[in-house]
Amino acid sequence: MTETLLFYGFGLLSILGALGLILFKHPMNGAMSFVITLISLACLYALLSAKLIFAIQLIVYAGAIMSLILFIIMFLNIGESDLPEERGRWFYLAGGIVAIGPIAILMQRAFKTLPPGETAIVGDGFGGVQEVGMVLFTDWLLPFEIVSILLLVALVGAVVLAGKREVSE
Amino acid sequence: MGAKIKVVERKGKTFFEQLYLIEIFKGMAVTVGHFFRNLRDNSNLYVRHYPEVKPEITPRWRGRHRLTLHEDGSIKCVACFMCQTNCPSECIMIEAGEREDGVSEKMPVKFEIDLLECIYCGYCVEACPMDAIRMDSGVFSVTSSNRENMMIGIAELIEPPGAFNEDEYQKGVG
Amino acid sequence: MSLLDILLILLRIAFGAFVPLSFVAVLVWMERRGAGFFQDRAGPNRCHVMGFRAGGLIQNLADGVKLIFKEDVVPAHITHKFYFILAPMLVFVTALLCFAVIPFADVLVIGSKEYIMQAVPLDIGILWFLAIVGFGVYGIILAGWSSHNKYGVLGGLRAASQVISYEIPMGLALVSLLVVYGTVNMTEIAQYQGQLLFGFIPMWGVVVQPLGVIIFIIAAFAETNRTPFDLAEGESEIVAGFHVEYSSMKFALFFLGEYVAMFVSSALIVTLYFGSFQIPWFATETLLFYATEVAVAIMVGLPIGAYFFAGWIRKNNKSHYDRPNDPRRREATVYIGLLWLMVMLVEVVLLGYLVFAQNGIADRLLVMILQTGTFLIKTTMMCFVYVWVRWTLPRFRYDQLQKIGWEKLMPLALLNIFITSAVIVSFG
Repeated sequence: MTETLLFYGFGLLSILGALGLILFKHPMNGAMSFVITLISLACLYALLSAKLIFAIQLIVYAGAIMSLILFIIMFLNIGESDLPEERGRWFYLAGGIVAIGPIAILMQRAFKTLPPGETAIVGDGFGGVQEVGMVLFTDWLLPFEIVSILLLVALVGAVVLAGKREVSE
Repeated sequence: MGAKIKVVERKGKTFFEQLYLIEIFKGMAVTVGHFFRNLRDNSNLYVRHYPEVKPEITPRWRGRHRLTLHEDGSIKCVACFMCQTNCPSECIMIEAGEREDGVSEKMPVKFEIDLLECIYCGYCVEACPMDAIRMDSGVFSVTSSNRENMMIGIAELIEPPGAFNEDEYQKGVG
Repeated sequence: MSLLDILLILLRIAFGAFVPLSFVAVLVWMERRGAGFFQDRAGPNRCHVMGFRAGGLIQNLADGVKLIFKEDVVPAHITHKFYFILAPMLVFVTALLCFAVIPFADVLVIGSKEYIMQAVPLDIGILWFLAIVGFGVYGIILAGWSSHNKYGVLGGLRAASQVISYEIPMGLALVSLLVVYGTVNMTEIAQYQGQLLFGFIPMWGVVVQPLGVIIFIIAAFAETNRTPFDLAEGESEIVAGFHVEYSSMKFALFFLGEYVAMFVSSALIVTLYFGSFQIPWFATETLLFYATEVAVAIMVGLPIGAYFFAGWIRKNNKSHYDRPNDPRRREATVYIGLLWLMVMLVEVVLLGYLVFAQNGIADRLLVMILQTGTFLIKTTMMCFVYVWVRWTLPRFRYDQLQKIGWEKLMPLALLNIFITSAVIVSFG
């Protein structure tokens, strides 16, 4: 019972956070509401007994990436006057809703076919560090390595881009 | 100019110094030595327990001002305005008046010092031709809880005696 | 759930919440008096209640009263008041939450049930710490940004970039440590350190990871924004950094958060590298086996220790100038009386234990109390190292700070991972 209530609570919070990200004008407000979304997603993972994913969601997304984004927002120090004038913002919003409508219906159909799940805590170390590690490094070793090479390529690309200093005449 | 130039060898070039940690541990050994010396016996502390133990002050110490008196108790000041003119912080306010006791022609009717303005430079003492103002009262803690009390007049200025005997003071001035 | 379950849960949560808070008072006191003694001066020792100064601890009460009754100013130029007020709370709460996963005693076995002695018995342990530490940065960034003040923004930028960049060597140092321990569960990490290496050296993290401990301690100093890495509040350059606009209890929350963070990171260093609650050469089983002997040893040792401590109080608690009928001597007499009273109390409890309650739950409780005490003593010593370093070293320059983090610590941490893995793979 408590689990279900918590599940709905965090689900609602994550949707509200995502809405805030779109609707708030000031970037700091948007970023902070996105943080709320990320934290409630982490809590949803925790409710689904995915302990490792919960921790990683908090460390990587909420902890590292979003704090970097906040850092950049602070670094740029955006005032009210720097914000773009969003004309026709409600128009775009309505357009977006219309465009997303069919996808939402599709998603809803897809979810209906799923078997009903429980949010109770699963025992036997499901979702723990060791179990996820075992699966990741035995069954999914090749995809894991490919993804890490992809990340390495991205890292090298970032270094190359950042390191380029063109002297303007 | 024949100034002596001593070339000091620049530290921090050797490998062990570059490691930082060894030097840091050396520094920490020094400080913790002080810590335990004081912890073992706190009479080793180099501090004076101030309000109870007063510091010793020398005759050259510039404390709160005082106005000196003649032997007969009349005021030495002749209201010549030298100190007021010389004062860089303009904290002395003198009002001159007629003098009837025959010592001189003028005397201060009002002699006020704003201790909040005063910077205790001692120029007034140096400027005085009559040795009428001195800063040898020995009062080094000038405090008050309101502004009005920091404005002192003749009564407060002639009140404290000199904290040192005349010989000591003259030695200090000379 | 039985009554015992609920009682133990309450005990654990109370420990997790109140011990860091009460240690703030001890740490502030330690910092100030310690600073005094390091610099050959006395530190705050005048505040007293009815003549009792408790060695200067009463100063904390005065400071607390002052901070509570100060005017709580929110400057008019601040547009984002919500973030301005949220920031100190975040800093404080995240610092406190980190302590929740740190075990303070070995698993308590009562009957057939096992109670894990952490405020929150999570088995992802160290990952929780990393996750929560990341949130501490939000507090600093929001404080610096919402202050809308150039010093605040500069301080916030410095603090945030410092914390973000030192999280990397810290995480890498942890990786090699976890390779050794083979677990992220804090209680298991602590139990691992109860073993003996070659049969006579306690297998603490500091022995198996000598390079890792240096990297981790340096990174932990930077994470807590303490000297020599306290550029965020470099008084000489940027006044007070990100808390320049804060007053009253909002400032106090930053202050508390700093000291709680210092306590928590000390506790973490102790848990990971200095044997946690383990008394060297006395693992939990050994302690349980020799419980009677240990109790007798404490009963003998305590009065001897108390005698010397009383002598120290008598020697040092006196006025250092002529004072008729010295009140500080009377104060010392009261303290010594209290000390002996406490010793008597402990002796009576231990005697009761020896006579009535041997070989049962009492054994386990005795071991738990001993281990908790050991953990707290070790943590206090680590906190003293923080204070010690603070009053020894000057502040780094900002580029030096980043250089050490990225060019020295990170390659070293990577090297450490490589060496550790090689050793584990070839010998383990």
